[in-house]
Amino acid sequence: MTTSISPRTLGIDAAPSAPGPIPFSRLVRVEWAKATDTRAARWLLALVALSTAGLTLAPVLAPTSFDQTYASYLGVAAVGLVILLPVVAILMFTGEWSQRSVMTTFTQEPRRIRVLNAKLAVSMVLGGGGAVFGGVVTAAGLGLAAASGRALEADLTVGALTGYLLFVLINVLAGVALGALLQSSATAIAASFVLPAAFAVLGTASTLVSDWIDTSSAWNWVLENDWAGHVPQISFSIVFWVAVPLAAGVVRTMRRDVT
Amino acid sequence: MITTTALTKSYKKVPVVRDVSLRCEPGTITGFLGANGAGKSTTLKMIVGLVRPDRGTATIDGRPFVELPNPTRVVGMLLDASAMHPGRSGRATLTIAARLAGVPTRRVEHLLDLVGIADAAEKRVGTYSLGMRQRLGVAQALIGEPRALILDEPANGLDPEGIAWMRTLLRDFADRGGTVLLSSHLLHEVQATADHLVVISDGAVVAAGRLDDLLASSTILVRSPDPVALAAALQVAQIDYVAGPGDALTVDVSGGRVTTEVLAGVARDHQVLLTELRQSETDGLEQLFFSLTAAKAAPLQEAAA
Repeated sequence: MTTSISPRTLGIDAAPSAPGPIPFSRLVRVEWAKATDTRAARWLLALVALSTAGLTLAPVLAPTSFDQTYASYLGVAAVGLVILLPVVAILMFTGEWSQRSVMTTFTQEPRRIRVLNAKLAVSMVLGGGGAVFGGVVTAAGLGLAAASGRALEADLTVGALTGYLLFVLINVLAGVALGALLQSSATAIAASFVLPAAFAVLGTASTLVSDWIDTSSAWNWVLENDWAGHVPQISFSIVFWVAVPLAAGVVRTMRRDVT
Repeated sequence: MITTTALTKSYKKVPVVRDVSLRCEPGTITGFLGANGAGKSTTLKMIVGLVRPDRGTATIDGRPFVELPNPTRVVGMLLDASAMHPGRSGRATLTIAARLAGVPTRRVEHLLDLVGIADAAEKRVGTYSLGMRQRLGVAQALIGEPRALILDEPANGLDPEGIAWMRTLLRDFADRGGTVLLSSHLLHEVQATADHLVVISDGAVVAAGRLDDLLASSTILVRSPDPVALAAALQVAQIDYVAGPGDALTVDVSGGRVTTEVLAGVARDHQVLLTELRQSETDGLEQLFFSLTAAKAAPLQEAAA
């Protein structure tokens, strides 16, 4: 049935038509604000910083257990970073489903792919920022070690730095992919810890798993800039942990009814 | 202007919304009335692209919602006041919406004042009562200076003063040419707020039209100290009637031919004295609603109590 009646006044409809599309840069800025403006988000970022700084003290305090090289110190910082930084990325993609504020987000920008792209951009900025922070912490750790009179091997190359940055970004991307796919904070965070561990266990039984899927091998090759002979395995791991779940997550986000 | 054409949606093969067509014109408030679970929210969410219809279309000012470049500048909505991040302040929540919509952030302060939560602007939304969240939700709906509003159960959680405030605000918005579509399961709420009505039951529209028309009485009561003479006069004039209530007669006027004026003329022509001549008491929206949605009447009575 249809109901119809002539308008009483036209004051509002006579107003100038709405402005153009929301610029992507604005979407990114707003997503950045949403990812960093709450108390919970700031605590989590503080924890990322703390765990990175804390872990970087390990090679300073236990010189016999760690190679006393620049690359080794940087690697430790990277491992510290990727404990919790992927969780930040996961929450960026799941938090709004849990809080149900997707209702606001996807009505303000109904082209959901643009929102996902903005979140992806923000998570890359966070990943890059985290990597820079890790570098600073590493420098501080190296400074402390040098001050204690230790001899340190300055073995950092452009390749090693690239491997370090890629390692951090890939870990963040894996978090993005899990978050986009699962759309539930608790499930995605649990999966981000359980799944790699589970495949690591399976890897002890099967070299096929350990070489191709177990992230502790593939990501470490990236971190150690050890690409020779590992490019297919690393590529497959990226497809398995990032590309496929991210693509599926995008499709699921586009199609999901917000109820 | 908000229109839908044959919107249809099923979840797991259970139909939730069936062929719902609406048309909300500028300058009007359309009440979308139905029991809980009748399909109101699903319909509203299909209009704004949150739920994909199986069939049918919806447009705002002639365009599908998902094609609006910056939708909240055209239509503001309050779909669920609890769907906000509890850790963000009211002001921060509005500021994010304002930035995304591309309106100056001074509008945030204006709206905080307008909805009466300026004093709580710095408090986290998690500490707000449902009524305060509802007010914040209204502010968020208005942030982009829209021409249309879509509100799902806006009276929820508001105290009587808040409900009166909401009515005034919506009436004012419509009087300035805005289009309002609001859902409610509360009969008296819709009766007091809307000028158009769409009643939905089990996912299908069962009545739609102007509130006045839907409520208009279809019978006239006419009384004379001499009912026999009156009945004879009506028979001569070929006007159908039924006896009652009491010694009065009730005339069906739904055909439009008979009016109080016609009846007064018949009485005069036949020299019959009339002591009462008026539209019968309207049964009210409640009666209408129950008759239209008979199966759903019982739970509704509870909800309306």
